[in-house]
Amino acid sequence: MWKFFAFIGEVSLFGLKALVDTFRPPFEWEFFVHEIEEIGWRSLPLILSAGFALGVVLSMHTRGTLVQFGAEALIPTLQSASFFNELGPLVTALLVAGRVGAGIGAGIANMRVTEQIDAIESLSVDSFKMLVVTRIVACILILPMLTVFMDFASLAGGFLAEYLASHISPQLYLDRAFKTLEWANFIPPTLKTSVFGFIIGTVSGFFGYTTDEGSEGVQRAATNSVVLSSLLIILVDVILVKAIFFFFPRNAL
Amino acid sequence: MNDPAAVEFEHVFKTFGNRKILDDVSFEISEGEALCIMGRSGTGKSVTLKLMIGLLKPDSGRVCIHSEDIVHSSEEDLSRVRRHMGFLFQSAALLDSFTVGDNLAMPLRRLDKLKSPSEIKRAVDETLGRVGLDLDIAKMPSELSGGMRKRAGLARALILHPTLLLVDEPSSGLDRITASEIDDLLLKVKKEYRTTLVIVTHDVRGARRVGDRIAVLDQGCLIGFGTATELDKSDHEIVRRLVSES
Repeated sequence: MWKFFAFIGEVSLFGLKALVDTFRPPFEWEFFVHEIEEIGWRSLPLILSAGFALGVVLSMHTRGTLVQFGAEALIPTLQSASFFNELGPLVTALLVAGRVGAGIGAGIANMRVTEQIDAIESLSVDSFKMLVVTRIVACILILPMLTVFMDFASLAGGFLAEYLASHISPQLYLDRAFKTLEWANFIPPTLKTSVFGFIIGTVSGFFGYTTDEGSEGVQRAATNSVVLSSLLIILVDVILVKAIFFFFPRNAL
Repeated sequence: MNDPAAVEFEHVFKTFGNRKILDDVSFEISEGEALCIMGRSGTGKSVTLKLMIGLLKPDSGRVCIHSEDIVHSSEEDLSRVRRHMGFLFQSAALLDSFTVGDNLAMPLRRLDKLKSPSEIKRAVDETLGRVGLDLDIAKMPSELSGGMRKRAGLARALILHPTLLLVDEPSSGLDRITASEIDDLLLKVKKEYRTTLVIVTHDVRGARRVGDRIAVLDQGCLIGFGTATELDKSDHEIVRRLVSES
């Protein structure tokens, strides 16, 4: 138990140091832009295709039930409410944790094992800022943007499924999808993914940066990054949803 | 050997867990001198190099570079000291997502803010030319042979014109001819720039050729320190066997 709390403390201090170092010059713009491309741009096909497919599937599932109650007009509303409030942010974070978390963990661990981090330090360059801080900040900034793409891809998928079933017009689908949706249903859930981004960057960076084993350590860093990031995302989501309900009570209705 | 010391080790102890790596090691290396550190595998040679550049801290004792204690210095001071040092790692440790040129340009871009892109390019071209890799500037590390990677690592270590160059096993994994070429480069650096060299090696021939003096470590203790000729007459059998060419 003591070891568990010590570990949580270490990861928290690691994340805190990264946040403090974010505002301490010199700024690693070149690496930051590279990470934005790596984490954001390269994740986009996965996010768009997953969002589209999930939109189709959710629409197909809900149609079967809602038709029984003559409430198929609510399908677009349900679709948008589900994705904008919860599914979009959560699924985006879990997908990015899988794709990017493993990459960050394994990538940094590999640099540690092959002495590349020592080489960076020997050149008087702060390897923590260069490799960890840039990735964490990129994750924090990119997650909300990817979530928006996920939300709209799911709406596109939902529309396609609905169009094939009922030939609904795009205009009517969008009207129904956004009829009851408020900014409070969109902005806080989307921005909460910045916290998920911080978790992914910090946990993966920690496992990668602190590994002290060989190739086995690289593998373990990748696995642990994905497992712990995913678990923390789901657990922290509970707290964040509760906080959103507290600050935006209408979301809870 | 009356020059001021470039490196001073004073009663340095280092352990990893229960394993004693360095046990009360003390020595000095003069400015412009080449010291080769020899010893059996796992006797603390590479640890000694990492202590010199502050990548590891000793459990006790002092490590001074150009009379500055780097054990108790701040990160900023350590960073300032490191700007005058170069390190060639055993595996070269080139950043594998960068081209050879970018590996060399990286420290210049960060540390030498006054340099314009054209000046940086000129410095990179010139340094790669010194190690015979001027045509390989755009290659990725994975496209280089072992010897080329070592030379690229050496070029990166030299890019900031270090006064102290630390080299970890320059000949490991290389054929005798390529290893000899690396030794030639090290001798050239020492002669042209009066750079102090500290080389960890198993290559007796290279050590006798490049090193002014040789230090022999065994089980964490310094059991021999002197010129190759002096060590040939050592009372310690391990020392004689390690430095003997036959």
